[in-house]
Amino acid sequence: MEYRELFLEAIQSLRKNVLRTGLTMLGIVIGISAVILIVSIGQGAVQFITNELTTFGTNFFQINPGTSAVAQFAAGPKNLTLDDAEAIEADSSLTNVETVIPFAAANVGVTANGIDKNLLIYGMNHKAVEMLNPTILSGEFLAEEHILTSARVAVMGKDAASDFFGQDSDPVGEIIRVDNKPFRVIGVIESSSGFFGGFFNNTIYIPIEVALNQIIGPDEGIQEIDVGVYDTDLIDQTMEDVRILLRDRHNLDIEDEDDFIMQSFQDALSTVQTITGLLTLVVAAISGISLVVGGVGVMNIMLVTVTERTKEIGLLKAIGAKQKDILSQFLMEAVVITLIGGIVGIAIGISGAFLITLFVPIPFVVNIPSVIVAVGVAILVGVVFGLYPARRAAKLSPIDALRYE
Amino acid sequence: MPKNGQPLIHLQDIKKYYLLGDGSHYKALNGITLKIEKGEFIAIMGPSGSGKSTLMHILGALDVPTGGKYFFNGKDIGSFSDDELAEIRNREIGFVFQAFNLLARTTVFKNVERPMMYSNIPRKEREERVMEALRLVDLSDKAHSLSNRISGGQIQRVAIARALIMDPSVILADEPTGNLDTKTSVGIMNFLKELNRKGRTIIVITHEEDIARFARRRIRLVDGKILSDKRN
Ligand SMILES: Nc1ncnc2c1ncn2[C@@H]1O[C@H](COP(=O)(O)OP(=O)(O)OP(=O)(O)O)[C@@H](O)[C@H]1O
Ligand SMILES: [Mg+2]
Repeated sequence: MEYRELFLEAIQSLRKNVLRTGLTMLGIVIGISAVILIVSIGQGAVQFITNELTTFGTNFFQINPGTSAVAQFAAGPKNLTLDDAEAIEADSSLTNVETVIPFAAANVGVTANGIDKNLLIYGMNHKAVEMLNPTILSGEFLAEEHILTSARVAVMGKDAASDFFGQDSDPVGEIIRVDNKPFRVIGVIESSSGFFGGFFNNTIYIPIEVALNQIIGPDEGIQEIDVGVYDTDLIDQTMEDVRILLRDRHNLDIEDEDDFIMQSFQDALSTVQTITGLLTLVVAAISGISLVVGGVGVMNIMLVTVTERTKEIGLLKAIGAKQKDILSQFLMEAVVITLIGGIVGIAIGISGAFLITLFVPIPFVVNIPSVIVAVGVAILVGVVFGLYPARRAAKLSPIDALRYE
Repeated sequence: MPKNGQPLIHLQDIKKYYLLGDGSHYKALNGITLKIEKGEFIAIMGPSGSGKSTLMHILGALDVPTGGKYFFNGKDIGSFSDDELAEIRNREIGFVFQAFNLLARTTVFKNVERPMMYSNIPRKEREERVMEALRLVDLSDKAHSLSNRISGGQIQRVAIARALIMDPSVILADEPTGNLDTKTSVGIMNFLKELNRKGRTIIVITHEEDIARFARRRIRLVDGKILSDKRN
């Protein structure tokens, strides 16, 4: 029989038992939708990080205090200092180093326009603009003279500005009090970073020396040093050179671990890729199980169907159906179940991914190859698990089938 | 077409034994020898359990005998594979059963069309032939009715239309009027008689004398053996 006829007939026969068909599809739907969802989200995450990189530039690496990402937050270490940043900048052998941007952060009380709030403020230098790449909404960013003169000036993130001064206000020229000390607002900026934008727009930037000497305390450590290089191809070598310099400055012995962590922005992307890849693998394994369970369900239902329709099979054989005719008829039914299950799963997976992107700042991505693979897998599950019942139907002797009660 | 001098059907000492639960054999057919020529109209009669249906299943290549030889159109089909037998059933034999003749919840049209699908006949030709067959059994207007929405007599006529659709050498009908009232039964038998008059070979199984009277040759079975074989 022609495929078209087989397909239409399969649809027709499945429609006689909509509920049963629907329940049988469930395992396939779950398996396929999970994979489609996670692949879509994973791709979105990678694309998101790639976007971040184009915002901040791939020619940076960051240095944080601590021996692991966890320790960094747990122990508020003081072993990365502004002097470290200055030493990196001053070292003439580090020819590939273009910019050095130290970050100090502190949670302090801010009073402005009659409003008191606690805010995470950043101490930075004028070069931070090269990495943050902000949009200057008003005024200017920290300039070299502000850094050199330790001026009490502040640049407000867009959200912080509107929190204190109201939507679309221009606080440039206003005096605000940071940790009870007066600062003159010189600019308002907006970061386009999807991920860090939340932080960078809701903070206040002041010269780092002012932050350390007048607010945080001169002996406190700093949270981060971002180093920009001229030649990104040589970034690994530069990182190694900086590592040796810092180890020397921190008086670490050969057997001591680094008391700082270095990571290039490119590495951060690789990390995200590794994590999403791993996650995809785990989800693929779980949905593989779901697909097998779903497939066994399809097999079970097809065996029931074959038994229920034994007499029909006998009749079809009586009027000339060959084994392959019966085989393809029942195989087609199994494949139609899993194929529809697969398509529903794809639809659910894509919709789910779309819903998630409404709440998480990652782009909505539909991965076409994964959709194609999903369709192929759905068909394959139908064929594999439909084969045994279909063969059983095909092998029925016409007379046993006709006499079946 | 039978070869020169060959009967359409030739059974030689056909036996059909069923293995019973206790290991013994039940002899449903116990040595049937029979020749059927093209154009005959035969009634196979006998009491319940005498082996009528068993014989028809063997005649219709639905079942294989335990012993004996079966020549169809001169060919010994004893050695045929499942698929070769399916092809014989598809092209050479038209079946009409007592019940469960049609695919449920499928249209009359599709039921009659079905045998042609197994022979890969093009759609256009299938459509023409179905409509012609339905005209013949006077059911053109029911073509697109569902098979479970028509009467018992109409079902049997649809079954006959389907049996004819591949232009087979022989029509085998097992109690085709078993579920019908007398008037409808007579209608069906008259129709089969008309087909036979036009040259179609027809074998009807029945235990009703009134039905058997339509045939020109009557074979009586008892205990899996031919008791009598009469022509009029
Ligand atoms: N698969 C089987 N296993 C065992 N015995 C069987 C089997 N099929 C048929 N028989 C027996 O063979 C005998 C002949 O059966 P058959 O169906 O041919 O009778 P029949 O003449 O058609 O009867 P009826 O008029 O009731 O239809 C019966 O006694 C039946 O019980
Ligand atoms: Mg019978």
